Amino acid sequence: MSGRVIVITSGKGGVGKTTASANIGVALANTGASVCLVDMDIGLRNLDILMGLENRVVYNLVDVVEERCKLRQALVKDKRMPNLNLLPAAQTRDKTAVDADQMKKLCEELKSMFDFVLIDSPAGIESGFQNAIAGAEEAIVITTPEMSAVRDADRIIGLLEARKDEITQYRLVLNRLRPKMVANADMMGVDDVLEILSIKLLGVVPEDEDIIISTNKGEPVSGTDNTRSGLAFRNIARRLRGEEVPFMDLEAKNDTWVTKIVNFFNPVRV
Amino acid sequence: MQLLDWLFKVPNGTAAVTAKDRMRTMLVHDRLELPAGKLEVLEEELTAVVARYFDLEPDTTRFDLQQMDRKAALIANFRLVRSKC
Repeated sequence: MSGRVIVITSGKGGVGKTTASANIGVALANTGASVCLVDMDIGLRNLDILMGLENRVVYNLVDVVEERCKLRQALVKDKRMPNLNLLPAAQTRDKTAVDADQMKKLCEELKSMFDFVLIDSPAGIESGFQNAIAGAEEAIVITTPEMSAVRDADRIIGLLEARKDEITQYRLVLNRLRPKMVANADMMGVDDVLEILSIKLLGVVPEDEDIIISTNKGEPVSGTDNTRSGLAFRNIARRLRGEEVPFMDLEAKNDTWVTKIVNFFNPVRV
Repeated sequence: MQLLDWLFKVPNGTAAVTAKDRMRTMLVHDRLELPAGKLEVLEEELTAVVARYFDLEPDTTRFDLQQMDRKAALIANFRLVRSKC
């Protein structure tokens, strides 16, 4: 088997990298693929919490790299889906605990075991980010429609472009879109951000309180029905698998006829 | 009529448009790693060169960095009155 190694990155912290990693991982696993989520945020481990797996972490990525355990021993199987696995970060070490060559080797091994290897990158553009992208062949760039997040995403895209030979494709996930504010021209919308960054769109995730609830429960929202953000992440997973999934209208419900007309001219998509 | 104006207006001066304009300018400079003030120096020097060949209409020169995909384009606009040659 040779799986796909995809790094999920953003530059700026707090835009939803880890949430997106967990949700895309769950959604991909739900399509039947075998998935390994790799938490590369060494020293600031969080992906285990979002997955609800924090009590089952025994070994971590640094233990594997330093050969204190076998790779299979460090993998934590998800309790809902056996085809979803987590390789946790070390909490007590820092970003210098692994280097780019070790990451490349680890990714080679992982992609022989899984259909998808999703790497949750730390924020920033320093060594932690460089290590996270070292073994990746594709990237998902996450941003919110805020200026500081878009600027940092642009920097990341520049760095990914410089590694065109290794990272053959990168696409954007626009997170925490507030359709009403976009419709009122109070904040940048999907088309604005795409035009500024000149990048292909993978998906749009609306701002959604269900994300906070699902994080608290340790059950990623893409695993449950009836949430708009969950649907958005499931669509992203299907697009990653090569399916053509149309971008949906985010402002479909609870509209007056006036907002319907406005939205007709300013379509918002998931 | 006011409702129609509101529905079809081009939202100039809104927060979204301001943000987009600021982003465009910022990212063009970021991507080129262009230090502040350098563009103004270039404008002065280029104008001086063009002015050796043409009389220029005063105060009409426009000098602009624009985004073209992920590259930048330098758009210079000189209004020429007549050749000096």
